[in-house]
Amino acid sequence: MLNQTRKVKNLIQKSICVGVCLLSFNSSAGEGYFGWVYSLDLQPEGKWEFEQRLQLTRGQASGTYDLWQARTEMEYGLSNDFQLAGYLNSYSINASKNYTNSEYCEQENSTCTGGYGVPGSASHGSGYAKTGIDGVSIEGIWRITNPVTSPIGMGLYLEPTIGNLKNALETRLILQSNFLDDRLQLVGNLVYEVEKLKFDEEPIEETIVDVVAGVTYRFMPNLNLGFEYRFHNDFDGYSFNNQTQRAHFIGPNVHYATKDWWVTAAMRTQVGGQCWAPGTAECSDSKVWDSHGRNEYIVKFGMPF
Amino acid sequence: MQWHSPSYLAVICLVTTAPLGQVFAKQYLSVDEVKQVMFSGEVFTKIDIEVPELIKEKMRKESGVRYAYQQKHIWKSSQGSWLLIDEVVGKHEMITYAVGINNKGQIHGVEILEYNESYGEQIREKKWLEQFKGRAATEPLRFNQEIKNITGATLSSKHVTNGVQRLMVLYREYLSRI
Repeated sequence: MLNQTRKVKNLIQKSICVGVCLLSFNSSAGEGYFGWVYSLDLQPEGKWEFEQRLQLTRGQASGTYDLWQARTEMEYGLSNDFQLAGYLNSYSINASKNYTNSEYCEQENSTCTGGYGVPGSASHGSGYAKTGIDGVSIEGIWRITNPVTSPIGMGLYLEPTIGNLKNALETRLILQSNFLDDRLQLVGNLVYEVEKLKFDEEPIEETIVDVVAGVTYRFMPNLNLGFEYRFHNDFDGYSFNNQTQRAHFIGPNVHYATKDWWVTAAMRTQVGGQCWAPGTAECSDSKVWDSHGRNEYIVKFGMPF
Repeated sequence: MQWHSPSYLAVICLVTTAPLGQVFAKQYLSVDEVKQVMFSGEVFTKIDIEVPELIKEKMRKESGVRYAYQQKHIWKSSQGSWLLIDEVVGKHEMITYAVGINNKGQIHGVEILEYNESYGEQIREKKWLEQFKGRAATEPLRFNQEIKNITGATLSSKHVTNGVQRLMVLYREYLSRI
């Protein structure tokens, strides 16, 4: 009896293994070459892709600041030039004594706890940690011209987000040029985003205008290497009257893809930034903090099917 | 072999799945098979030549293909037909294709020998490949003009079109004269 049960168990286990293996062989591909820059590589009509992203924003002025953000995504090609996607967003924050700015800490030469996701009520405690589901996003990308056939590919991106930490509406103008048999890609995004931060007692409204750009080159079959840059600008409220932050980030990326799956890893480091009132509390050491860190890391995995 | 635990299975699945995706590359036709498909009954001899740099430069300029020509397979039959095999850049890997040229200098056929991309397999469809048939080496062969794009397989159809163009330049400028 025991032997029979073991045999059935083994059969089920083997079947699961074979099933998983076959499923992965039969899946198809499409991918994001960059960590944070969006390119015009879309799912063809009728194709689905599962994508998982995991991002870590690490290190602020002092102490500990780790912000993990995960996105579980399904993409679908409504047509060859229009892709729709839905995300489930989750997060984990661990912050402790990471701010040194006396304006925020209300005391000279002391540290306190702050940053994106940390409520003001936690600023003078020993630390703050929270993990949870943030919310959902929907994303649409319309490719107006294809960089494979046009000197300049162009697309529009729209992403509304509803979450516990923030509500946001992000738009992007995506520009892309390909060279050297489409192995070299130059991509730029102009980002305009309005958001309402909800983790503090009073909601904070702000506008973001970023330019993100990247280059990636396929050095050998399956493998791309490149780097990307972010020029970040934050404004208080929903206008451009009062700029609060400006910062620059740069870092490398690596992308490996087969017909069945792809993975991208990237990091970027903050090379400098500055703040203006009323955001000065979020600055020190010529760097901006808030939702930013000294370094940001991202890993993305995609499996089309 | 004993199956000890589901975690053991998961490790085996992960370890085996990734590399096998590479091992099971899709080869649709071998060199011998493509000879039979295109020129049934003709006997081919491999031509070992070094294509001059000047010709390679012309091939690059006219076709726009930047990936270096490898000149691995050049075959000629006793009836004067040519079979040229080449590779162009695919989305992730190389696309291997063959161009058959009849003794009048016209394209007899184009075949995809190896294709390892996620999608875009429509480039193997007869209807698309037949667009090349009968075109002379002196005629233009432009993507999105003489040869139609395949939406959803744009990169592959563009690169194969340009690749066929570069082999026709090779034939026109060099092979037809030797």
